[in-house]
Amino acid sequence: MTVREVLETYNEISIDKEITEEIIIFTLYRRQFLIFPPSKDNPASTALLFLCNDDGADFPHIMLNNETLLDSPLIPKGKYRWVCLYEQESLVNSIVSYEDKISDSIERLIELLSMNEIEKEREFQKEFMLYWNANSVEKKPYSVYLTQEDEFAEMDVYFGESNVRIIEKGLYLSDINDRDNDKRKWVRHVENDVFFIPISDNRGIYPPRGGNNWASQEIKNIVFSQQVEHISDSVFKQINCTIPKTQNIILVFGMKSEWSNVTFAVKIKCKNNVRHSLLKKILYDIVAINPLTTERKDYLYFNEQLGNDIGLLKKKVLVVGAGSLGSYVAFELVKNGAAHLKLYDREMLEDDNILRWAYGGVGVGSNKAKIISTLLGLLHPEIEVIAEPKNIDERSLIEETSCSDLIIFTIGNSDEQLKFNRILKASQCAIPVIYTWLEAGGKYSHILYVNYQKKGCFECLYTNENGDLINNRARMNSDDIMDTAIIRNGCGGTRAAYGTTSLLRTTAALLDIIQKVQMNELTESVLVDVSPESVCISCTTFPMEACKCCGN
Amino acid sequence: MKLKKEFSDFYKAIRISSETNALREKRRVLQEDIESKLPDILKKHDISITKSDIKMIDQGSYKYNTTIIDDVVDRDVAVIIPLDITKNDDPRKIKGYLRDSINIASRTVYIKEPCVRASYYENEREWLHIDLPLYARYDEKLYLARGKETSSNFSWENADPVGLNDYLCEKINGNAQLRRIICYIKKWRNEKYSSTENDHEIPPSIGLTLLACDCFSALSTDDSDDDLRSLQKTMKSILNKFSIKKDQNGEIISASLNCYLPVSPYTDVFIKMKESKTHMITFYKRFSKAVANLTSAVQLESEHDAGEYVQKVLGPVFIVPAKEAVAAAAQNRREHSFGD
Ligand SMILES: [Zn+2]
Ligand SMILES: [Zn+2]
Repeated sequence: MTVREVLETYNEISIDKEITEEIIIFTLYRRQFLIFPPSKDNPASTALLFLCNDDGADFPHIMLNNETLLDSPLIPKGKYRWVCLYEQESLVNSIVSYEDKISDSIERLIELLSMNEIEKEREFQKEFMLYWNANSVEKKPYSVYLTQEDEFAEMDVYFGESNVRIIEKGLYLSDINDRDNDKRKWVRHVENDVFFIPISDNRGIYPPRGGNNWASQEIKNIVFSQQVEHISDSVFKQINCTIPKTQNIILVFGMKSEWSNVTFAVKIKCKNNVRHSLLKKILYDIVAINPLTTERKDYLYFNEQLGNDIGLLKKKVLVVGAGSLGSYVAFELVKNGAAHLKLYDREMLEDDNILRWAYGGVGVGSNKAKIISTLLGLLHPEIEVIAEPKNIDERSLIEETSCSDLIIFTIGNSDEQLKFNRILKASQCAIPVIYTWLEAGGKYSHILYVNYQKKGCFECLYTNENGDLINNRARMNSDDIMDTAIIRNGCGGTRAAYGTTSLLRTTAALLDIIQKVQMNELTESVLVDVSPESVCISCTTFPMEACKCCGN
Repeated sequence: MKLKKEFSDFYKAIRISSETNALREKRRVLQEDIESKLPDILKKHDISITKSDIKMIDQGSYKYNTTIIDDVVDRDVAVIIPLDITKNDDPRKIKGYLRDSINIASRTVYIKEPCVRASYYENEREWLHIDLPLYARYDEKLYLARGKETSSNFSWENADPVGLNDYLCEKINGNAQLRRIICYIKKWRNEKYSSTENDHEIPPSIGLTLLACDCFSALSTDDSDDDLRSLQKTMKSILNKFSIKKDQNGEIISASLNCYLPVSPYTDVFIKMKESKTHMITFYKRFSKAVANLTSAVQLESEHDAGEYVQKVLGPVFIVPAKEAVAAAAQNRREHSFGD
């Protein structure tokens, strides 16, 4: 079937002009559209639809700009706006027939045009930032950094070369004092007070769009509305009792719902009424408003967008050991929502470490903990990784337990593990502790979660039923495999041979366990075996009743 | 359960969970005006009360949380003053004094049969009215001032606004499904009576609320409430309360529904509507149409088709889910990649 034939199956559609059999201008619900067929050579393509000579202000998913691509002598002169019918990569187009693609796009267009007010409101809110930023006249974008989304907050403004940062008071960004040839990269400006106002009920709030620009009324309506309260009581109280020090102010609104999470800033110019509260300024003093191009840039937001566990965000994680496993674990922790790490390791990075090191060849010859700290800091200015270029000792371990929320041992030395285990048990450590290590040969690894308030500890693994100390019972390698898996490089120096698969596997399993601990799904101490075949709770007897460390 | 998400979204879209600050502010100023001016006005007519004698209490849906979004915010606040009604036997005069105490340019004030109304306008559109039923406390009892200013029909009617509040709060608070059902029925009323000007033709909220409480059927399936079936069953049993008379052609010639206040004065809440037969017949016809549509929705297999019937009852704010065939086709082709 041709486009024309498909269109003719719809009673609602009348064909106005046939540019070719496949390129057609038609009318649907009193609006005119131009359709281009999907390309027959490209199975991934879809039909393209344009709204003709109409600003489309009443409808979501109609692009704001006129298309200039349509410079073809065949197509009548006019204004064409692209109608966005498909979310990017939401459908597998290659398995749909040519005709179905055309009728599917028409069905979607009909659905779009038949939306009721409530559906339109939702779609407009999903695309809020598109409209907001298109309506801004300020050249520099404003990057917003928040630590939370539910409470009123005061913010600071820093101007940079290409953008402006608005940072919630109390939030420290590690690069804020950076310099470029003696010149500060970020200069604090104090001419405008800035406030964050979270919107808890977004009913009836539309973005500015085609001729419906925001004015003071829209701002008033957010903080002092007639029927639906858009802000919480506590936010209202703070707006009512805060007295801005500057005449003009910047308001940052946060609007989070099931279907979107948007943040938009606006500068409001006010009459000079020195003693007016923020509420009174908004209600009575606004003379002009200036929407600012806004983007959320904080670590909380990025983590939320990815669906990370934000429970780790404000927690401090101590990682003991910045070798191969430690480097992978630290890297993945900060990408999964942990912004505050402390690393202990005295070793230097050497050339032959590099292939089992998560960050490539940067920093050879320097301390491993320090390299990790520097590189992870570059991921995001809220990430703070403190490096201690030494091995942890008894005193510092006890100190650290009092200021950390989680301890992870990524060291493989049994003597050290046993020593730290004794210290933590004796000090009745109150925070979760995880030991993780690779077996020689690199095929198997283990993760031991210990809750020192309960039964079970690292020494249990080295204890038999009679209470005698023996070698690690969790071992899954046979002794002869161990022998062949060790690389000897003179003077008795040995290294276990393994590639990065077991590092990746162990790190992934560890992240899952951390999440379970976070969600309080894991409360009893537990040993997990990791192998190429499976990740599972170990059948090694654990805890061991006769353990001299945690038993009676 | 059918249309679970749609009902949940609908409720979120129509409900008002609390008084806005703007409204609270208007009410506070109104209360201050009454407290500061009413004693002086009354004094001129030899009635002596002090500021602290005046009690103002919340009445109506805000109290038991069944307020829904409407074109105009409707707020009821009872004004209670100590008054000897044997000496002051004309409630119209006292209502006039209450009106005088609040009559300023920023609000439009007038006397209605059961109350004094203060209306607020913005950009020439009324957005709020605060209704002030006036009660006299006399001999340990409360009496509502009834009667329009010029009407010969007036009385001090024994009433129990506090008792009514308590009755409804006890029924509704803690029963989330009942609360939603009341909101749905009120929304149905607003949809069907949106173009009706005359108050007397419209079933009053208090009547619909009391009926819903009386006829409520809680319904749920596997841990979640089934609002569609609960609404259908509740409205069905309200419908069964009507008594209908038909002529030989089967045409309805009268419809009656009795619903009395559960507290003093135990009057019929539909008394005003009953002044004309046609109002009650219209009410019955519209109500039975709603029940028929909901019954179709309950019986239909397809969520889309059921949704269309519910939308006929609750209006366009209720969103009809996409046709199953279309939704399934889209589902099959939905990309399974993680995105970037
Ligand atoms: Zn779109
Ligand atoms: Zn033990």
